[in-house]
Amino acid sequence: MEGWLTRIATNTCLNMLRSARRRPEVVNADLSDDETEFLETVSSQMGRETLDAEQKVVAVDLAEKLLETLSPDDRLALTMIDGEGASVNEVAEVTGWSESKVKVRAFRARKKAREALEKLLG
Amino acid sequence: MNHITDILDNTPFNGLTESDLRAIRTHTGSCVECAHAFAAAELASVLLAERISEAADNTANANPFFQTRVLAAWREQQAGGAWSFRRLWNATGALVASMAATTAALAVLMFVAPVTNPTDQQTAALVPYSAESVVLGQDRDDNQMTNDQIISAIYDDDDEGK
Repeated sequence: MEGWLTRIATNTCLNMLRSARRRPEVVNADLSDDETEFLETVSSQMGRETLDAEQKVVAVDLAEKLLETLSPDDRLALTMIDGEGASVNEVAEVTGWSESKVKVRAFRARKKAREALEKLLG
Repeated sequence: MNHITDILDNTPFNGLTESDLRAIRTHTGSCVECAHAFAAAELASVLLAERISEAADNTANANPFFQTRVLAAWREQQAGGAWSFRRLWNATGALVASMAATTAALAVLMFVAPVTNPTDQQTAALVPYSAESVVLGQDRDDNQMTNDQIISAIYDDDDEGK
């Protein structure tokens, strides 16, 4: 029952995201001053310090912009596997996709997110 | 030279093993492109982690009020239901009461009140003609035959038959 409801909820959310069809590419011109400053400072001190409260807010906004550039399926795979730490098998169970499809989605999403951030970092 | 982008794209950043990280560090020391890619992948991981963390905080903050809000909405709905019944009664109460009174009166008249048949005298008073006036007072029409004429006509026919 729980799995069935989870799958229905997941598919409903995916359909809503698909219907939105908003996947613009993030470019530097779209970034606010805070976000530009965040990229400059955080990338230089990566892994050394934790983010302060203001940086966390900017990070969340930036993450939203980044995820909006991904397709709904890629976004779901990336969020669940890389963000929430779900296994490929768990994502396959929730979405009804095959495990290989989940892997492909996650690979594509990681690559796209990484390349988008590479461009932003210059 | 093998670039490390495949390692970055195939595995979640937090899932990279020690051997992966060692290979990456070795390679990025001499490859600027891959160093840039590694920094971007790490940043993506940080951004995603912050977003998930905030979403989890929002969910945790929403939970304590969820039940209260549901109960409040339920009470409001219940109160609204009673109020609408009262309003319906105010609008149609008089009509419903009068219909009930009429039905009760008709029931009393039909089943409880004694049934009275009109007497012969009352009937005679109501009817504008009597049996005598019908039999004896009928208008004589010249075209109609009298009793004597009928009798004589009958017996004459019998006589002729003989």
